Amino acid sequence: MSKQVEETQAYKDKQNLQWVGKPVKRIDGSEKVTGEQKYKTDYNYPNMVWGKVLRAKYPFAKIKSIDTTKAEAHPDVVCVLTHKDIPGFNGFGIVTPDQPVLCENVVRCTGDAVALVGAETLEAAESALELIEVDYEVLDPVTDAEKAMVQGAPKLHPDGNIHSHVSIRNGDIDKGFEEADYIFENTFYSPRQMHAFIETEGGWGMLKPDGSLMIQCPAQYGHRDKLQIARALALNPERIHVYSSPNGGGFGGKDEITVQIHLALLAHNISGRPVKIHLSREESVLAGIKRHPFKVTVKTGATKDGSLVANKVCAIADTGAYASLGGAVTALAIEHASGPYKIPNVDMEGFCVYTNNGIAGAFRGFGVNQVCTGIETHIDMLAEKTGLDPVEIRKKNAYRQGDVSSLGHVVKSSVGTIETLEKAEQCDLWKNRDLYKSQVSEPWKKRGVAIATSFHGVGMGLGSPDYGAATMELLEDGRFKVGVAIEEIGTGNGTVYAQVAAECLKCSLDHIIVVQGDTTKTLDSGTISASRSTYTGGRAIATAAPNMINLLSETAAEILDVPKSEIELANNKLMVAGDESQFVTYKQICEILLDKRKSTRVEGHFYLPKEKEELRNSGGAPHHLYGYMTHVVMVEVDTLTGQTDVLKVVAIPDAGKVLNPQGLEGQSEGGAVMGIGYTLYEDVLIEDGMHKTKNFTDYIIPTIRETPEIVTIPVESNEETGPFGAKGIAEVVMIPIIPAIMAAIHDATGARINRLPATPERIYHAMQATKKPSLISR
Amino acid sequence: MKVSEIEMISPQTVEECLYHLGEKDKTSRFIAGGTDAVVRMKDGAWLPDTWINIKQLDSLRYIKEEENGIHIGPLTTHTDIVHSGLLQKKADVLTAASKEVGAVQLQNMGTIGGNIATASPAGDTIPTLFVLDAQIELTSLMEKRIVPINEFFVGPGRTVQAQEEMITNIIIRPQTENEIGIFEKLGPRKAQSISIVNVAISLKMGEKSRECLGGKIAFGSVAPTIVRSEKCERMLTINPLHDEAIQDIAGAAWKEVMPISDVRASAKYRRSMASALLERGLYRLMKRWDER
Repeated sequence: MSKQVEETQAYKDKQNLQWVGKPVKRIDGSEKVTGEQKYKTDYNYPNMVWGKVLRAKYPFAKIKSIDTTKAEAHPDVVCVLTHKDIPGFNGFGIVTPDQPVLCENVVRCTGDAVALVGAETLEAAESALELIEVDYEVLDPVTDAEKAMVQGAPKLHPDGNIHSHVSIRNGDIDKGFEEADYIFENTFYSPRQMHAFIETEGGWGMLKPDGSLMIQCPAQYGHRDKLQIARALALNPERIHVYSSPNGGGFGGKDEITVQIHLALLAHNISGRPVKIHLSREESVLAGIKRHPFKVTVKTGATKDGSLVANKVCAIADTGAYASLGGAVTALAIEHASGPYKIPNVDMEGFCVYTNNGIAGAFRGFGVNQVCTGIETHIDMLAEKTGLDPVEIRKKNAYRQGDVSSLGHVVKSSVGTIETLEKAEQCDLWKNRDLYKSQVSEPWKKRGVAIATSFHGVGMGLGSPDYGAATMELLEDGRFKVGVAIEEIGTGNGTVYAQVAAECLKCSLDHIIVVQGDTTKTLDSGTISASRSTYTGGRAIATAAPNMINLLSETAAEILDVPKSEIELANNKLMVAGDESQFVTYKQICEILLDKRKSTRVEGHFYLPKEKEELRNSGGAPHHLYGYMTHVVMVEVDTLTGQTDVLKVVAIPDAGKVLNPQGLEGQSEGGAVMGIGYTLYEDVLIEDGMHKTKNFTDYIIPTIRETPEIVTIPVESNEETGPFGAKGIAEVVMIPIIPAIMAAIHDATGARINRLPATPERIYHAMQATKKPSLISR
Repeated sequence: MKVSEIEMISPQTVEECLYHLGEKDKTSRFIAGGTDAVVRMKDGAWLPDTWINIKQLDSLRYIKEEENGIHIGPLTTHTDIVHSGLLQKKADVLTAASKEVGAVQLQNMGTIGGNIATASPAGDTIPTLFVLDAQIELTSLMEKRIVPINEFFVGPGRTVQAQEEMITNIIIRPQTENEIGIFEKLGPRKAQSISIVNVAISLKMGEKSRECLGGKIAFGSVAPTIVRSEKCERMLTINPLHDEAIQDIAGAAWKEVMPISDVRASAKYRRSMASALLERGLYRLMKRWDER
C-alpha cells in the first residue's frame, strides 16, 4: 500500500470505523486468484445444446430470402431459427429497441444476427451455419458518420441517420470569443476501443420443468434483461430468472443485451435441454459493442490572464448500425465537454449518427474520454502561449462546490478538483519533473511530463430511473445475507457492500454473505454502470440496516425484558446498555424470530438525488454528483521510431471518502492502464464496413510490460449524501490520463497528436512534421 | 475436413515421421509447439487429414558445436536458445532474437524449426539465421540435402521444403571472438507483438577504435522474404563506426527494402523504420563494443 493510502487509513482510524475505509481483502479474491471462480460461461452439461449465430455476410444489404432446409437436414442439428420464430417484438436496445434479434429484411452491419442454430456439438453448429442460404442484395455501406448526416445519404433507419442531437448553451458564445485574447481551434479523433474483457459474451439457459425461463450469463443489469427478453419472447417477465454475476469483466460491454434473447429463443425450441452460446474472440470483436469513435471540433477562447471565456464544441459520434446507448453517450460527452470549469460562455452540441461500422455502446467513461482531450489540450496550448503555469490555469478556472459550472448550474455536491491539482503540484513527479526529464535512457530518447484533470458524472442523470435496493436477512447461524442485484463485474463492489453492512450492523466482515445479480434473490437496484454501484448499493444497504437493527433490538428487548431504548448494538450481539452480562447473540435472535414465524428479512430503498431541472435539449444534464480526477504522467519517446512508453503515473482521484483503499488502488491502476491502451495502442479498424481487426493478434492492449509505476493519492472530499461520504470512481480513473499522455508527448517532442491512438507511426510522422524543412537530409 | 475428424499420430523416430510424410493418399502437417499450427487450424487454414505430432521427438532437440558449425535441432524451443551458454557466446544475435519472439509462454512452446517452416516474413529468428549463414538440412525417406538459408524461402509462407521432407538440422556459423551481434525489433508493443520491422546485425570488429572489418545486415518484415542489405554492409568498412558513419549507413537502408502497407503499418513508415532500427542497432552495438 502506498504512503498516501496509509495516511488515509490513519484518518479513518480516528473516526472509529471498524470496516469502512480499511484496506480489506476482497471477499471473492482467493477464488479469482486461484482460478476456482466459476463464471457463467464455464458451465457445461452432458445434454447441452450448442447455439451459434449466423452473422451477416455484408455490412449493408437487403435480405431477399433465407433458406434453412439444408441446415435443418444436418443430422446433428436440433433447431434452426429465423425472425419467423420470434414470438414477440423483433428488437432490443436499452433506450431505442432498433436492433433486430434476428434480421428480417435488411442487415446493417457484419455483427448482425440473421439466424440461430442449435446443435449437438459446437462443430456441428458451426458447419450448419454454412448450410443456411441467405440471398442478399448488397448495398453500398455508409461508413463515415459525417457523410451519413448529409441529405441524400442512404438511410439506415426509417427516421434517418441522425439518432440524436443534443446541445447545451450558456452565456453568449460570440461575446466570449470577442473578449478572448487567444483562440485555439482543433479537431480530435478518437479510437473504436474494445472492452477486451477476459470473458467474452456468452452464457447458458433452459426452460425449467414449470415452463419458466432461466438465463445465466455475464451481464450488467439482470432485471432489465428480463424485460428485454420478455418483450421479444412475449413472456411474463416474472417467469424469467436471470442470474448475471459474476462477470469476467464488463466495462459497459455487457450493459446491452448480448446473448440473452438468443438463448431464450433456443431454450424454447429444444424441449427443456440446456443451451449454451459463447462467442469466440473473433465473434466478440465483430459483433460485440465498442466505444464510439468521435470526431470532436473544439474552439476555446481565453484571456491573457489565463481565464477561459468561451468554449465551442461539436462532437459527432459514430454509433454504428444501432443506437444502444449512443444517445446517452453523446449527451454525457456534451455535458462534460467543457471540463470541470466555470467557462461563462459555452456552445456545445453533439450528434449520434448511424453508420454500417459495427455497433457502439456503453464503455467506461461513456463519451467523456472522447471530449476531455479538447479542452485539456487547449489549456496546455494557452499555458505555452502565455507562459502561465498549466496547473494555475486549471485552478483558476475550476469550479468549487457552490460555484456555477460552465453548464450554468450551481454545483451542490462535493468538488475535489482544486485539491487534486494541489496534490499534483506537490507530488514528486511534478516537483522534480526537470530532473526526471533529464534522465533519458538513451541519447535519442526524449521525456515529457504533463498534467490533466477531468471529471465524470456519478449515476444516470435526469430522465432515467436511478434507484437502489438492498435486502438483509438474518440467517440461522447469526450471519447476514445481504442482497444487491448490482452485479460484480470485476470492480469489487461486493466487498464494499460487505464492509458497509458489517459497519452498520457492528458485526465481523465474515458474518456478511453478499448475493449479487440473481433476479430471484435480489430486488431491482439498477445497472452496474455510471460509476454508481458503490454509491447506490452502499446507500441502499445503509438504508436497510436501521430496519434490521430495529428488528434485532425489538426482539432483544423482548428476550431480555427491557425497553427497546436500553438495547445497544455491540460486536456480533445486542446487550443491555451498561451491562455486558445481559446480552443476546444474533443467532439467538434468529431462533426466536423463526419460532414466532416472523420474517428475518428487511429491505432498504434509495433514490439517487437529482437536480431539479434538466437543461433543455441536453439529454439528461446536469448530474447531481461528479467524481473528479487529476493525472500526472511521464512518457519517454524514442525519436528514431516514435515508440512511446508511459514510465510514471500519479493518479489523484476525488471519489469522496474512500471505503476500501485497496479497491480504490485497483480501480485506479486498472483505469490508468486502460487509459494508456486507449491513448497509445487500441483501435478496432473497420474499412468499408468490414473489420480489419479480427482478433487480439492485431488489437493491441497493454501488457504488464507496458504498465508503468502508478501511485494513487486519493483526495477525499466528503460527499454528504454518500454512504460514509463516498461517491464513485470506476470511470474517471481512465479519463484525464488520456490528455495527460498527449500533452506529455508534446512536452517531450513538440508534436501534437490529435488522432488516437498515438501509435509509433503517428508519433513519428508528427515529429517529422515539426521539423523545419531543410535542403540537407539528415 | 473438420477439426474433430483430423487424426493425430505421435511418431517416436524421425524415420517413422518420414514414412508418414511419404503417404501419398493423405495430407499431413507437423505440429510441434503448436503456436502457429493451432491458430491456423482454428482459423480453418490448416486442416490436414493427419497431424504428425513431433513435440516429443527429443532426438531433434539439441544445440551442439561440431566441426562445420553449431547444430541446432529443429525442435529446440526459443527458451532453449535463450538459455544456451554456447549460443549466448557464439550466436548472441540469435539468442537476442529468440527473446523477442512473442512472450515467454510462446518461447516455451515455439520451436526454431517451426519458425523457419512457417516462413512468415515477420518471423523473428529468421533474419538472424541469414547473418549467421545458416544451412537447413532437409531429410526425406530417399535423401538428405542441405539448403543455404538464402535459397530456402520462396515467398510468404512458402519454402523449397517438399511435402515428403522435414527439417532435421539447422547449422549456423559460430561467431568468432571479435564478432558481435544484435537484434532490433519494432512491434506495436513490447511483448506479444508481431514485428513491424526487424533487423539482425552481426559485425566483425578490428583492432582500432570502432573499426569494422565486415558485417551482415538482414531485415525482416520489409519484403516477401528476408532482405540482406548489401549496400549498407559494404558501407560498414568505409569509416570507423562513429555516430556520423552510423547515420550514413542507416540513411541508405530505406532504399534496400520493399515493404507493403498493412493493418500494422504503412510502407512509408516501414521504410523509415528500416533506417531507424539499423541506426539504433549499430549505436547500441558500438556502445557495447566500447564497454566490453
